Parts: sequence; C-alpha cells; structure tokens
Amino acid sequence: MTAFLEFKDVRKAFGGKPVLKGMSLAVDKGEVMYIIGTSGVGKSVTIKHLIGLLRIDTGEIWFDGQRVDGLSERQLGPLRKRIGMVFQSSTLFDSMTLAENVALPLRKHQRMSSSDAEAEARRRLAEVYMAEFADRYPAELSDGMRKRAAIARTLALGPEVVLFDEPTTGLDPVSARRVDRLIRELADKRGVTAIVVSHDPPSIFSVADRVAFLYRGVVHVVATPAELRASPDPVVQQFITGQSSGPMETPGF
Amino acid sequence: MTWLRTRIEALGGRLVDAGRAGVELWLVYVSTIAGIVRGFASRKDRRGRPKGELVRQLHQIGNKSLIFIAVTLGFIGMVMTYEACNQLSRITGTFEMVGPQYIRLIVSDFGPTLTALMLATRVGAGIAAEIGSMKVTEQIDALRMSGVLPIDYLIVPRFTASIIMTLMLSVLGSLVMYGAGGLTAQYTFGVNPNSFFDLDLLRPRHLALGVIKAVSYGAAIPVVAGFCGLRARGSSEGVGQATTAAVIGSSFAVIILDFVISAAALFLFGGDL
Repeated sequence: MTAFLEFKDVRKAFGGKPVLKGMSLAVDKGEVMYIIGTSGVGKSVTIKHLIGLLRIDTGEIWFDGQRVDGLSERQLGPLRKRIGMVFQSSTLFDSMTLAENVALPLRKHQRMSSSDAEAEARRRLAEVYMAEFADRYPAELSDGMRKRAAIARTLALGPEVVLFDEPTTGLDPVSARRVDRLIRELADKRGVTAIVVSHDPPSIFSVADRVAFLYRGVVHVVATPAELRASPDPVVQQFITGQSSGPMETPGF
Repeated sequence: MTWLRTRIEALGGRLVDAGRAGVELWLVYVSTIAGIVRGFASRKDRRGRPKGELVRQLHQIGNKSLIFIAVTLGFIGMVMTYEACNQLSRITGTFEMVGPQYIRLIVSDFGPTLTALMLATRVGAGIAAEIGSMKVTEQIDALRMSGVLPIDYLIVPRFTASIIMTLMLSVLGSLVMYGAGGLTAQYTFGVNPNSFFDLDLLRPRHLALGVIKAVSYGAAIPVVAGFCGLRARGSSEGVGQATTAAVIGSSFAVIILDFVISAAALFLFGGDL
C-alpha cells in the first residue's frame, strides 16, 4: 500500500551546498507528523517542495497517488487547494484587512464573488476567535493574533493536508498551546493530515502521532513521541534533551 | 594551472548566472505583458488584484516624485544653459540658436532620460525594497499559495503606473528644464526670451522620440526593480542588496535604452534628426 504522501530519495542543494541528501519519508492520511531537527537541516525546505514553492534536484514526491514534484505553476493550483501552508511568519498582506486576507484565496481558488468570499472569511475568522478583528490591518495586531488569522486563511479552502512551519515560534506559551490544540483538533475532528516543522518540545510530545528526525540531510529516525523519548540513539537523545555537547553535528557551531 | 582553472571556472559560473538572470528578467517582462493582456481580456483574472492599487501606485510613483523631478531637472537645466551660453560667448558671442537647439535636445532626449534616471533611483529602490521585503518574509510564497500570480499582483499595477507617470513627469521635467534654462540665459547672458523660447527647430519626430523613450523607460524601471526584488534572498541584507541592484540595473536599463532608441532614430532620420 502506498502512503498518502511520500518523499522518495529527495535531494536538494543550494549554491552547490547539499541540504537534503536522499531524504525519504511517508505520511499516512489523517496523521500528525512532526519534522524536527537542528536549524538549517532542511525541514522547511522539505515541506516547501511538496507544494512546489521549491523544486527538488532529484527524487520523487507523491501525493494521493499522483507524482507532484514536476508540476508546473498552473498545474500546482489544484494541489494548493488540497494542501495548505501556515508559514513561519504570519505572511498576512499588510495592505489588506484580516477579512480581505482570508477572502483572497477564496476569490482566486474557489472563484467566489467578493461579497461571498468576505462573508466566508468572517466565518473562518470567527472559528479562530478573531471575528471582532476582521476589519483591522495586520500591523495593528499581536503576533499570536496574526498567526491565528493566517491559520484561518489557510483553513478557508478546507485543505486535506496542512503544512505548519514552526507554528509556535515567537508565541507566548498560552497562544502556543492553543495552536497545538488547533492542530490536534484538525486531525481528530476533520481528518486533516498535518505536517508540522517544530523545535518546540511541549508541542512535539503533546500533539504528534509520529516524529521524523532530520539529520545530515536524511530522515535519521521516524518514531512515535514515546519511542523517541525511549530511543537509545545518542544523537536523538542530545536533540530532545537539548544538550549543548554530544555527538550531534550542528551546522554553524 | 590549478589557479588558472579555478579562475576560468569562476568566470564560467558567473557567465552562466548572468545568462540565467537575463532569461529570468525576460520572463518577468513577458509575464507582466501577459498579465496586462489577461486583465483586459477577463474580469476573472483581475479578481484578487488589490483594489485601487493602480491609483495608489500612480500616486506613489508620480505625485510623490513631482517635486524631486522638478527641482532636479530645473537645476540641471540652469547649469546646462549657463555652460552652453558661457562657451558660445567665448566662440561666437551670439545666442540665437541656444534656445531652439536646447528645446530640441530636451524633448528628444534630456527631458525623458534625466526624468527616468531620477525615477530609477527613487521608484526603482522603492519597488525593490517593497517586493524584496515580501520575498524574504515569505509573503510572495503566501500569494502563490492563495492562487495569485505574484507578477500580476505586484508588478502589473506598478508597470502601468510607471509608464503613465514617467510620461507625465517627463513632460513636467522638460517644461521646468526649459523654463529654468530660459530664465538663466536671460539673467546671466541677457539672452532675449523671444529668441530663446523659439520652437522653430522642433519637429513632430522629436516629440515622437521623446514619447517612445519615456514609455520605454517607464516600462523598464518597474520590471528591472521588481525582478531584483523577487530575487532577494535571506533577510534584511538581501533586501539591501536587491535595492542596490535595482537602482544600478534600472539606471543602466535607461542608459542602454537611450542609446538603442537614439541609434535607431539616427538610422531612420540620419542628419535630419
């Protein structure tokens, strides 16, 4: 049986410097897969390949039985309706209100009229408790509020897969745990598959179904959070316990 | 030999990069034109473009550059006329041809070219900084995920506004340059205003040449600057590099276009130009 989403021997280099060196990973439908690893190891690069924001050098990427790594920008349109992404910074458009930000993908992807898209956008904002800020501009809001609005924008299209790039980075602990709860609820209540890039241990160990540990350009280990905690691998242990010294090679240190 | 091989490889690498950048720049230009055509052809394709963006860009590129262009071209006009009269006073002592030759030059070359060079610095830097910031903060990726073509959304309105406003500002700049030159000639060398503001040597082809240049410059600046912004990498340092590249690139584009269009006009009209 083939996986819902699969990376096969993916390689990617930037300016001659290899980042992914034969990375393979399979994700099942409805699961919450965390990708962890040190900064610069290629976690964000990995998920951006899935939706064509970056192009792989060699290898294959499959989604729901279709090979997606060679699709053109136009062919990627339908894929980007099914796979949404919440970026590391909120990436809301400064010149638009929150409602206009959320309405934009509805108008472009779903071909909704402006009024219908705006009404739907307000409903989506209400789901993340942001209804009263619908007419405000991103610059007037806190990081946590912007992040929630960005999540509402991504979820507006009803994606089957949501990619989260460090969703809790820069948030206060309470906002971070709310985002964690939202990710878990998406999987449990709506059957959404989530791939989450994270450095945040509380998030990893409370939300993930499985965790892929990226190291030296390949997936070093794929395990459940419990298996990861119990792993005898010294590299894994050094990472999850956050020790500054140990066998792990860290780029730039 | 290793040293030589390394040098050749480095040079080859740079040439490949430059070739690739040239192709990408051409693709940005073609995509911008395609975006304009699509916008006219289909209402659906205009959906998602920011409301009132063209007006905002007209204001940003045109109104906000008005004083900058008027002051700069006014001073350049004063210096140019002063120097021309100064040289003529040593050689012939007569100034009848200063004004008629001056307006011919302003209309066919100096007006649009100097205006565009000034706009390349102010507008080119602004466009590259804005688009570059969006690139490094992943807003461009977010646009693509929203089903929006970044060139349609970011470059098309700037392209249209830049063409319109470069033309308008070229007219304004030329008038200021001409007026400032006339006043300088009158007050420093006593040149009669009637002989200075004589339009006898001005022909429709000079006006056509000026309009063609202004439109070409107006089209080139946002494409080059937008291209530089879209290539921004990393963080604020990348945005700074993109801004510098945009100013150099768009100024260079203006100079090259001036040369090419002037050479073509010279080829067409010969000594009558």
